[in-house]
Amino acid sequence: MKEIIIKNPTGLHARPASQLVMQCKGFESEITLIRGDQTANAKSIMSIMAMAIMGGDKIQVTAEGPDAEAAIEAIATFLESLEE
Amino acid sequence: MFKFLKSNKGITIAAPCNGEIVTIDQVPDAVFAQKMVGDGFAIIPSSNDIHSPVDGEVIQVFPTYHAICLKSTDGLEIIVHIGIDTVELKGEGFTCHTSVGANVKAGDLLLSFSPEILAAKGKNSITPVVITNQEVLKSLKVETGLTHTADTVAKITLK
Repeated sequence: MKEIIIKNPTGLHARPASQLVMQCKGFESEITLIRGDQTANAKSIMSIMAMAIMGGDKIQVTAEGPDAEAAIEAIATFLESLEE
Repeated sequence: MFKFLKSNKGITIAAPCNGEIVTIDQVPDAVFAQKMVGDGFAIIPSSNDIHSPVDGEVIQVFPTYHAICLKSTDGLEIIVHIGIDTVELKGEGFTCHTSVGANVKAGDLLLSFSPEILAAKGKNSITPVVITNQEVLKSLKVETGLTHTADTVAKITLK
């Protein structure tokens, strides 16, 4: 598990959400985003957008599967690098 | 038998507003044109009220009111995204007429926008209507050209 803060003010709207899904689909593991008591399947655009993650939100990235560690690292890095 | 019936069930998608329907690859934004968000179509609006394209439930209204996520009663996950890069307007020029969890019918008013504000901010108002769980689609047929709110503009069959 890795905790990050979303920096881009507009959050995970359509463009970053779809880029996130593309990144996640490159991993076999199931990847989950957690905010408080809400969770999203990071391979589903609808699931991510339903959480309406905004700038400043604290998000935990978890993964389960053979490449879980690499997935968490890559996805956390991707989310932290969002600036748009 | 049930599966047979289901697989042949035709689902229709209604125009969210008046305007011109174009294929999704005509959207001047690669995330939509390349179907990264989902498969569907776009409408170049000539009216400023956005209505539901399907019967279903409102899953999310983005806090900036420029996009809405719906789950249709047929299980389609649909995003209606008003304009390109309109998230940057932070809600300016958009009004929401529904709420998360609302059950809606095709044709119900969801959102409206100000074409003047979008134009003043240099934003294209082309509105993609995309099915994000495109893996459930067997076929999608889009009727391009001029249309009116609530007219059938796409036909879908599920796998």
